[in-house]
Amino acid sequence: MKRMFGFRRMVFWTTLVWTIGMVITIPAPAQAMHIAEGILPVPWAGFWFLIAIPFVAIGMRELRNRAENTPEIKPLVGLVGAAVFVISCMPIPVPIAGTCSHPCGTGLAAIIIGPWLTVVISSIALLLQALFLAHGGLTTLGANIASMGIAGAFVGYGVFHGLRRVGVSWLVAAFLAGVLSDWATYSVTSFELASALHGSGSMEIMFKAILLAFVPTQAPLGILEGFLTMGAYRFISMRRPDLLRRLAEKVTS
Amino acid sequence: MFHLFSDIFACRDNALARMDPRTKLIIAVAMIIFVIASSCVILPAAIFIICLTGMIAVGLPWRLILTRLITPMGVVLMLVIIQSLTYGRTPLLNICIGHWSGVIKREGLLHGLLMGTRVMSAISVTILLSSVTPSHRIFQALRNLRISKEWVEIAMLMYRHTFALLDHTADISDAQKVRLGYTGMKRSLSSLGVLAGAVIVHSVDMAGRTHEAMCLRGYQGAMPYGPMPAMAAKDRWMIGLTILAVAISYLWLERRLF
Repeated sequence: MKRMFGFRRMVFWTTLVWTIGMVITIPAPAQAMHIAEGILPVPWAGFWFLIAIPFVAIGMRELRNRAENTPEIKPLVGLVGAAVFVISCMPIPVPIAGTCSHPCGTGLAAIIIGPWLTVVISSIALLLQALFLAHGGLTTLGANIASMGIAGAFVGYGVFHGLRRVGVSWLVAAFLAGVLSDWATYSVTSFELASALHGSGSMEIMFKAILLAFVPTQAPLGILEGFLTMGAYRFISMRRPDLLRRLAEKVTS
Repeated sequence: MFHLFSDIFACRDNALARMDPRTKLIIAVAMIIFVIASSCVILPAAIFIICLTGMIAVGLPWRLILTRLITPMGVVLMLVIIQSLTYGRTPLLNICIGHWSGVIKREGLLHGLLMGTRVMSAISVTILLSSVTPSHRIFQALRNLRISKEWVEIAMLMYRHTFALLDHTADISDAQKVRLGYTGMKRSLSSLGVLAGAVIVHSVDMAGRTHEAMCLRGYQGAMPYGPMPAMAAKDRWMIGLTILAVAISYLWLERRLF
């Protein structure tokens, strides 16, 4: 009897049942990698809020300044934000993992409306997802803004404009912006998880382990997001080149 | 193709839906903070059971509850496996898969299981909050709690137009499917690119029309927010008593009191 209810045995069977249950019941589409509510300890959740808030505040200041000269910028940012939110819900088949996943959409948004406004719309999209879809969370909002909004937007914007400046074609620039913004998001998320959860162990080992664990889905997903960004940019530049010029003027005016 | 937003259930009339949204928001955030600060599974488990009971009481479908709770557990499952293999010293189980062998450690596994309970509990609080509070009430409460009015304005515009764009996206996607736009990987990617581009183009066109419509209705660069009455005394008491009860339970369970 004592052996049957031993601690090791109990923990082993609890874990086994929990794991099997998870594998059986988990829905087929893998969700975008937002850090779920409850994962980050309070000090780390607070720390990532401190990182994210200045970026959101600068984005809001940008929006206010632009709205003084261009009143239609607010509906424009709101609607482009809604479009990016919808795009981030589109299922992309990930062949290696055998599942569907979702693009982040921040690289594309940063190319179109600039990185600061992308941080603002990412913060809102993440709040909506946390509240109404249970993706991400309220206490992990700061960490998710830092990975998806800040890292994703600035890497996407930097890569696209950096490559365009050195004469790379916009097709390649858009593709690489999509790929690298996606990978930047996942790298920063892995760093956030490793820094908060390594405990007494090595943070480096934890970071590598988390990064490696997400490679099978995120490496192909990043490439697919690159194709999506390129396809979307090509469609807009072919059908409505005036729109890209108008958006660039509104964003940089 | 797309997900179901939890707040479609918030229009039902029940005691929780009638509560002041500020009260619900403050209590939810306080509960989540206590849950993630817990180093023992009892408080998160108790809050999870209370919220689950609440969800069932307000008539949320079982399937939706399960989908919402199981999805983030994918990330937790991976973290439990990594933590069990990398964190702690006490060996619990040796695993050999081919040439690879690893040791599952007690401390890592327990920490992983605690994290899983915290995630379930914190997410159940959020689901219950969004299932009994319509989005416009949440935005109103956020504005009342001194969140930037421009941020709330953009959030309202985004939320409202997401559904119009979802319909438009579903229409284009259906048309693409009818024309065999999703047969094979290359064609699927091309179709997705066109779909994403078309959604952006439509959203920009819609933004122009929305701005014109807003101006015709008296919009002068800022959305007016309806006044919210001061929080009633019973709501203040409810916030105080709930937070006090959770705080006492937390301190008792963490052995810092009694």
